[in-house]
Amino acid sequence: MYYLFAFSAGALTLISMITNSKLASYVGTRQSTLVNFTAGLIVSIFLYLMFQETTFKLVSLPIWAYFGGLMGIFIVIISNIVIPKIPTVYTTLLIFIGQLLTGVLIDFIQYRELSLYKFIGVLLITAGLYFNFIIDKKDQLKKAQGKSA
Amino acid sequence: MYKFGATLVGVFVAFMVLFNGTLAANYGNYAALIIIHVVGLVGISSYLLIKRENNKINRSIPFYLFLGGAIGVILVSFNNICFSAIGVSLTIAFGLFGQIVMSLIVDHFGLFGLKQTPFNFKKIFGLLLIFSGVYVMTLG
Repeated sequence: MYYLFAFSAGALTLISMITNSKLASYVGTRQSTLVNFTAGLIVSIFLYLMFQETTFKLVSLPIWAYFGGLMGIFIVIISNIVIPKIPTVYTTLLIFIGQLLTGVLIDFIQYRELSLYKFIGVLLITAGLYFNFIIDKKDQLKKAQGKSA
Repeated sequence: MYKFGATLVGVFVAFMVLFNGTLAANYGNYAALIIIHVVGLVGISSYLLIKRENNKINRSIPFYLFLGGAIGVILVSFNNICFSAIGVSLTIAFGLFGQIVMSLIVDHFGLFGLKQTPFNFKKIFGLLLIFSGVYVMTLG
């Protein structure tokens, strides 16, 4: 069940990436991020008022727990710098590998348990991604040749 | 250097799942969503003010493009729920798989006004590899 939620979150990530890049073509990525957080905040407040019955109280948490929103901004800013500079294949692969390995590391720190399965899984995922990239590249090449012929 | 930057983006995504998930586990999902978006909004506003960017947001932009943030709320909620139940790595692994499958669907049908790229059946092999990787990760 949770797997399905995570899967849907990924599918939604792609849709929101497409919407954002379209908005960014009008206003640039930084201002589209501003729009994003504003719309998100409005929806969040609405949801909170609808579903949350308890009153809000501050919980004592380490300060880093509050930095999720800032991470989102760093991601946008760094992506902006990096994506035009290196081929998409590398950006996508590196971003995916960075996510997966950091995820494995965080789980290790949280649960004190290093699993070999997770590393093998990351390797398989990377191999699959790379394989499909090669096919994409061949398709593009064929198309380009077809056009020039 | 740029490759390091790309890797760093991935690292930040994973930490974002951890941070947001921790917040949601302690505050409840909806209050956490508000905190996440307030922090993000303050952050990006300060950045824009420091950089003195001119406002380019106007009425000529199609309204539905402003709704990306609403989708963001749903996906952050899903991630937060999954974080407590299955941890960071599995949330990310299944999320990436969802992203890949969705991108193939969007390309194949040319959804959202994007260029149509028909599905090449050779890619089934790559998808199977990716899926088996995600499956192996659930084993332990």
